[in-house]
Amino acid sequence: MALSIAAVTKTFGGLTALRNVSLSLEPGEIHGLIGPNGSGKTTLLNLLSGYYVPTEGAISIDGVSFTRSQVQDRPGVGIARTFQKPRILGTLTVLDNAMLGGWPETRATFMETALALARPRREERKIRAYALEILAGLGLGHLAHLRANVLDHAEQRLLEIARSLVMRPRFVLLDEPAGGLTGTEIEQLGAVLLTMRDAGMGVLLVEHHTDFVFKISSKVTTLHFGEIIAHGTPEEVRRHGEVIRVYLGGETT
Amino acid sequence: MTSVSARGALTALCLLAIYTFPLWTPNLYLLHIATLVAAYWVLIAGLNLVVGYAGALSIGHVGLLSIGAYAFAILVGKYGFDPLATLIVSGTLGAGCGFILGLPSLRLPGFYFAMSTIALAMIVAEWSLALDGLTGGGTGLPVPGFNSPFNTPAGFYWLVAAIAGAVTWMTWNVARFMWGRALIAMRDSEVAAASVGVRIPRMKLIVFTFSGFTAGVAGGLFASLQSYITPETFVFELGLFFFVCIIVGGRGVILGPFLGTVVLTALPELVGPLAKLGSLFYGILLLLVVLVAPEGIGDFMRTAYERLQKRPAKKMPHPDPARLFAAIAKREAD
Amino acid sequence: MLNVIVPGLAIGALYAAAGIAYNVMFSTSKVLSISTGHLSMLGGIFGAFFIGQLGLPVVVGLVGAVAVGVAVGFLTEIVAVRRVLARSDEHLWLLSTLGLATIIQQAIGLWWGTEPRPFPRVIPQDFTAGLWDQKFWLPVVALLIIAAGMELFVRKTMLGKVFVAVSEDAFAARARGIATDRIRALSYALAGGVGAFAGFAAGQLTYAYFAVGLILTLNGFIALAVGGLGSTIGAVIGGLALGLLTSLATALVGGQYVNTVAIGLLMLVLLVKPEGMFGAKKVRSV
Repeated sequence: MALSIAAVTKTFGGLTALRNVSLSLEPGEIHGLIGPNGSGKTTLLNLLSGYYVPTEGAISIDGVSFTRSQVQDRPGVGIARTFQKPRILGTLTVLDNAMLGGWPETRATFMETALALARPRREERKIRAYALEILAGLGLGHLAHLRANVLDHAEQRLLEIARSLVMRPRFVLLDEPAGGLTGTEIEQLGAVLLTMRDAGMGVLLVEHHTDFVFKISSKVTTLHFGEIIAHGTPEEVRRHGEVIRVYLGGETT
Repeated sequence: MTSVSARGALTALCLLAIYTFPLWTPNLYLLHIATLVAAYWVLIAGLNLVVGYAGALSIGHVGLLSIGAYAFAILVGKYGFDPLATLIVSGTLGAGCGFILGLPSLRLPGFYFAMSTIALAMIVAEWSLALDGLTGGGTGLPVPGFNSPFNTPAGFYWLVAAIAGAVTWMTWNVARFMWGRALIAMRDSEVAAASVGVRIPRMKLIVFTFSGFTAGVAGGLFASLQSYITPETFVFELGLFFFVCIIVGGRGVILGPFLGTVVLTALPELVGPLAKLGSLFYGILLLLVVLVAPEGIGDFMRTAYERLQKRPAKKMPHPDPARLFAAIAKREAD
Repeated sequence: MLNVIVPGLAIGALYAAAGIAYNVMFSTSKVLSISTGHLSMLGGIFGAFFIGQLGLPVVVGLVGAVAVGVAVGFLTEIVAVRRVLARSDEHLWLLSTLGLATIIQQAIGLWWGTEPRPFPRVIPQDFTAGLWDQKFWLPVVALLIIAAGMELFVRKTMLGKVFVAVSEDAFAARARGIATDRIRALSYALAGGVGAFAGFAAGQLTYAYFAVGLILTLNGFIALAVGGLGSTIGAVIGGLALGLLTSLATALVGGQYVNTVAIGLLMLVLLVKPEGMFGAKKVRSV
């Protein structure tokens, strides 16, 4: 049931962004991914979400490889992803943005929709109800009918997560979701991620806020120059010599 | 009276006014303009999905109007086909050409694509001039009217208005269900669209084909209304006009472009001096709207109105983990 | 053969110049302005106006026409581009330059008339020179001057190097203290001058005609797309190729299918090599 990348290498021309990286994301766990800038975190994320194809190695779910498939196919296999800069549709309402996550399960064709037949109506009702519940669960319910471009940064981040959740994913890949958040907002984010974990999702948390990562992750992987230098529980990784030297800075205490 | 039912009543009233127009219009000239507006709107409503929702800059859509118009003029005028059936043919032809028009949009960035639509319109104009055995060349073709009961000004108005109403209803449906959101995602953030699984090429081609169909049908109706067409009828400026109606009216809405079409069609006809200025006026309007109110005049007014309203007190979002968990778990069980 | 090649080169030179004007504006703003062709149109119309109608000497007419082009180019940046670039929606500049181009074309049409009017002789020459008529070689000479001038400008002058800096990385340029707004305005003014100069030189070929603008916007774009965005030599080759091809097509099947041929060329190139012959391959950015 895991989302795994096995012995993946990614090169761009002469540059090797990732070298022989293996990682497994299990359902019901939060897997933190940390590393300095340029360590390959974003590349890994882009590989998992379909923006890049591995130069070597394979990506698979439950053992079934989908290495070659593209970004648009990821929702179909249960993968959702958020972005470093939230990609929100500012002219639509908050609710509309969240409901966009219902697209993967939309089966109504263009003509069915144009003629307002039963299927598009039914799907609209279902997705709307679910999106409202998700928004309420994330504390955005009172903003549902506002234009998304009046939201502040933290709210936009939560909205992107809402959209991902409406997709009913098995795995959610988060690209630096704590960026630009205050302490309280990060705590709230943590509560949300833990809830997602408890509900059975596998969460990949790519982050710079290492304290945050260590606090809520079940497992942590550290990248450096495209290679894994540490992997294990937060306690293990936090005490790992290489990690301290390279990333956390300073001497070992 | 709640605001929803107030809006419903207003809409019903407007529809009533529109569909009884021949009965209370003061003169036939106004009826002619109204029919023209309706014919234009058949095209613009479809084009709205392409430009206003999908975000593809098809400035040369007038080429599809021309194809539909000439098909109608030739089949009905020269070969005596049934006008209503020929509308379907015009529409289908337009749909096919709309599909072709949409193909470059899959690979070409915005400006390149806009240029290719202008290029297509120019090719259509060129061929309609060159294939003069078929199209009458520079002299053009006369276009017959429809059969009874649509052969009176009022009857024809009702035909066009009915078709326009049907197209409007269809585009309104597309806009308010999931397709509308997916289209706007495609327009404003291809990254967001791809991340929810929108298949962009397929979706673009579908809306282009649909907009081609409505353009073809509009072409037949327009040709019949004008009763005579030449290549000069379908100049670039007409395509620009369609485009401006949508941009000025606002993208991502139906009502805005409709009002834009009504106003921009009627204005030059009714305000004498403006008629001479014609396209200059459209150019100025386009530039002004882009600089001052890029989301269209309707949106500009709505934002101004919202700003005057009291803002709800700023509340920090408080996630409710229990509720979130329950929502996800319940959906899993479905 | 020559009477296909010579006119083809002449009109192709005008297309090439429009392509270069596109390049200059694009280099500092990443904007492709729909009003590009109209700059040449203004050169032709105002040349005819100053020399033909006002009776001014040729040199004064030339300077005047180029000045109009410079002014309109400058205006384009200030009105249609500067404010629009500040917003994030990348297609807005297409709409604003479309609006401006329409305004220019229609205003000129209202003032000058919608019929093509003759452009006066620039150099004393009777009309029996056939293929050596100045209406053919003036545009080509103008193109050579423009192309050589652009290369010199970019390679040898400080301002030219600043242009290149801004085009490659506007953010870094600003960080180094370069006033990118002003540079952009200058580049648009320069493009205006280039376009008007070429339009003046080609005036006897195209006549002083208000509709030339849109035609050149399209054909100049084709020259640019075929030759490759960002490349002066590409614009030159693209423009000349387009001119020759349309001239050949006119000779073979008649002038009625000129646009079809031109656009056919464009589509062919875009299908095979979307970045044009000398263009840089687009880098994907996620």
